[in-house]
Amino acid sequence: MNPYILATLLFGLGLGTTITFASSHWLLAWMGLEINTLAILPLMARHHHPRAVEATTKYFLTQATAAATILFASTTNAWLTGQWDILQMAHPIPTNMVLLSLALKIGLAPMHSWLPEVLQGLDLTTGLILSTWQKLAPFALLLQIQPNTSILIFLGLTSTLVGGWGGLNQTQLRKILAYSSIAHLGWMLLILQFAPSLTLLALLMYIIMTSSLFLIFKLNQATNINTLATSWAKSPMLASIAPLLLLSLGGLPPLSGFMPKWLILQELTKQDLPLAATFAALTALLSLYFYLRLSYTMALTLSPNSPTGTTPWRLPHLQTTMPMTIFTALSLFMLPLTPATIVLLTF
Amino acid sequence: MLKLLIPTLMLIPTTWATPKKWLWPTTLAHSLIIALISLSWLKNMSETGWSYLNSYMATDSLSTPLLVLTCWLLPLMILASQNHTAHEPINRQRTYITLLISLQFFLILTFTATEILMFYIMFEATLIPTLIIITRWGNQTERLNAGTYFLFYTLAGSLPLLIALLLLQNSAGTLSLLTLQYATHPQLLTYADKLWWAGCLLAFMVKMPLYGVHLWLPKAHVEAPIAGSMVLAAVLLKLGGYGMMRMMPMLEPLTKELSYPFIILALWGVIMTGSICLRQADLKALIAYSSVSHMGLVVGGILVQTPWGFTGALILMIAHGLTSSALFCLANTNYERTHNRTMILARGLQMILPLMTTWWFIASLANLAFPPLPNLMGELIIITSLFNWSWWTLALTGAGTLITAAYSLHMFLTTQRSTVPTHIIALDPTHSREHLLMALHLLPLILLTLKPELIWGWTA
Amino acid sequence: MTPVHFTFSSTFILGLTGLAFHRTHLLSALLCLEGMMLSLFVALSLWSLQFNVTNFSAAPMLLLAFSACEAGAGLALLVATARTHGTDHLQSLSLLQC
Repeated sequence: MNPYILATLLFGLGLGTTITFASSHWLLAWMGLEINTLAILPLMARHHHPRAVEATTKYFLTQATAAATILFASTTNAWLTGQWDILQMAHPIPTNMVLLSLALKIGLAPMHSWLPEVLQGLDLTTGLILSTWQKLAPFALLLQIQPNTSILIFLGLTSTLVGGWGGLNQTQLRKILAYSSIAHLGWMLLILQFAPSLTLLALLMYIIMTSSLFLIFKLNQATNINTLATSWAKSPMLASIAPLLLLSLGGLPPLSGFMPKWLILQELTKQDLPLAATFAALTALLSLYFYLRLSYTMALTLSPNSPTGTTPWRLPHLQTTMPMTIFTALSLFMLPLTPATIVLLTF
Repeated sequence: MLKLLIPTLMLIPTTWATPKKWLWPTTLAHSLIIALISLSWLKNMSETGWSYLNSYMATDSLSTPLLVLTCWLLPLMILASQNHTAHEPINRQRTYITLLISLQFFLILTFTATEILMFYIMFEATLIPTLIIITRWGNQTERLNAGTYFLFYTLAGSLPLLIALLLLQNSAGTLSLLTLQYATHPQLLTYADKLWWAGCLLAFMVKMPLYGVHLWLPKAHVEAPIAGSMVLAAVLLKLGGYGMMRMMPMLEPLTKELSYPFIILALWGVIMTGSICLRQADLKALIAYSSVSHMGLVVGGILVQTPWGFTGALILMIAHGLTSSALFCLANTNYERTHNRTMILARGLQMILPLMTTWWFIASLANLAFPPLPNLMGELIIITSLFNWSWWTLALTGAGTLITAAYSLHMFLTTQRSTVPTHIIALDPTHSREHLLMALHLLPLILLTLKPELIWGWTA
Repeated sequence: MTPVHFTFSSTFILGLTGLAFHRTHLLSALLCLEGMMLSLFVALSLWSLQFNVTNFSAAPMLLLAFSACEAGAGLALLVATARTHGTDHLQSLSLLQC
């Protein structure tokens, strides 16, 4: 792709999210979301092969629908209450409508089925953008409208369940990552109405962990479990770190993935929701199962390989590894920093 | 506290910086020094029960024996793993030792934590090194299955425990072991409170393991490399008993009624797993099932909640930790020579490895609770306290003891006596490393006979 | 609920229903999207008329501009899909399911 066009598109991506962050008016927020969608579409369809085009089409349809519904809900709100302000969503019907369309936009169960397919059609870099940067703008809106319904609990619990269940029989890494994204987003929604700062914390931790995982997969050029099995030959050190990363994503102490889960469960028990907390914690086991399977293939078993196939670690990597290193370190060792992180996000 | 934690942590850079030739001797010597320093914990001068207190950690007479056992086990694991990792690349050997060291680090933190949540986090943290040891260094492909069982049984039990602990924190306002028993407890009346009771104990019962949720243990033991089996049998199972004893004061009025089915299940498990041992062909599985059977007695002793029950449980846990670890080492010496775990294929080893037979003999006698070993003390105290609870338990515990004696002797006779099969005539002789390993297991056990108050726990 | 409110709401919901349930052609999906956007255009313009808010009167034009961009992107994707899949049937977009 022409670097000027690429720069413009990346600028558009940044601009869209920033506009949504900065806006207090629904129309401006909607424009930000649209700019965001329109900027990522060419990036997604960059490689002109059927799968990319199909993924782009699906992404376009869902995002356009969700954005239109958000605007419709805010127009309804304006007609009912005369307010366009994001922070003043007083009427319950538009609030719930916005909530559901934002859930469609970030791919929460039961509106999740586009996400695995879209992610499967993209290359890993665009997939990384899709599952991190593209979540920020919708979450900014979610945090601002401050919904207060039991729909959130329903969305959260369904997402953790579907996110765990759906990934169980997948062999494609990008689909597994998509389902893991659904499960993590479910945790974030679960706590949204009680402690929004914890939602932010969980989002931050999810972005850190999933970025490092995407970057590792990109370094190994692995898109399914079979290629992952031979990746120990490409960088043995990374292959031995990766299981820890996966278990961190699954939320096993003492890795940092446990921090958001712990705090969320604590808040849920404080709100007298021990059953929801137990259910969410047990559905996390479903996700853990496929993370564990990935770590089995990646580092805990040695795949058979030809003698020449065991030497790629001698070749230098073309990718810059610094971001991956930082993200990996953060996603392994942040648990002792929990108090500092809480203070940082709730001041 | 830090005089042990910092040397343990610094063992990791030591492992990676030591030259290849000195890797095993250095780590062995250093871990042995740590184990010897840890003996100073046994000198408990405090009047409140807690000693070596700092803001996060403390030891008392319940955790000290388990801590010393943990520290004692690391040199033994290093000693036992030397042979079977010898043919691996040096980096993998270093990684293996690092995992063992990190396991000891987490275990020390688990046993010394004064905050229950810290205990919980470290309890879970031991899963990852153990999982990697089992699934990376196990011998067969079934190890992956065993690892999955291990992880998911434990987690399915302990995630409800986390919720239960957080609920307790909300109601009592604290989770510190030092003050929790003085905090005001809510009345536990509703069905939800009974579920909370189950949530508090189920994780530890899975870890123990109680009969019925024990299926992960034989798999994990059979597939794990020797160090994994040793630490699993000696320390990780004891986490369950330790946690149960710590949780008991918090569950006060409920346990009296609700523990009935669990005591029955535990004692029934003693008989059932003992009977499984009687017809077991796999040596490591036999030792694993014998662990389940002994742990059933421990669960029973803890759940009747008498001082004698707790004392017996702690004594039996320490004694069983040394004994089963020794038995796994013995099984491993056979395995490294014959490369199979089937008992019937490695008979009559007395002819080939006569000195080993002595160790087998002592270990088997310890396993069947031969007087005057601490195993007998533990079992006898538990059986007494159970008998005091209800006369009928004597039928189950008595039969359990009998079956334990039967399968221990069966194991000894099958492996050591009778004629040597023709296919194993040419075996390696025993190394002095192996004899040292066995001596370091069994000497403490025998010496504890002379001073059992070290492992008496709170009664002392 | 005023009649105007009811009219644009029902138009939008009709468009959304069409998008959700009438899944034959990509083109018809795009048309439904366009219908939704146009109903929103009507709603926004009537809102500024109804409440006499002059500084809001640019909003419908902005919306129209963005919906035109969106329609353009949609049509581009239609062309791309027709070239890669040979048809614009939504049923044929099934390469990524597994």
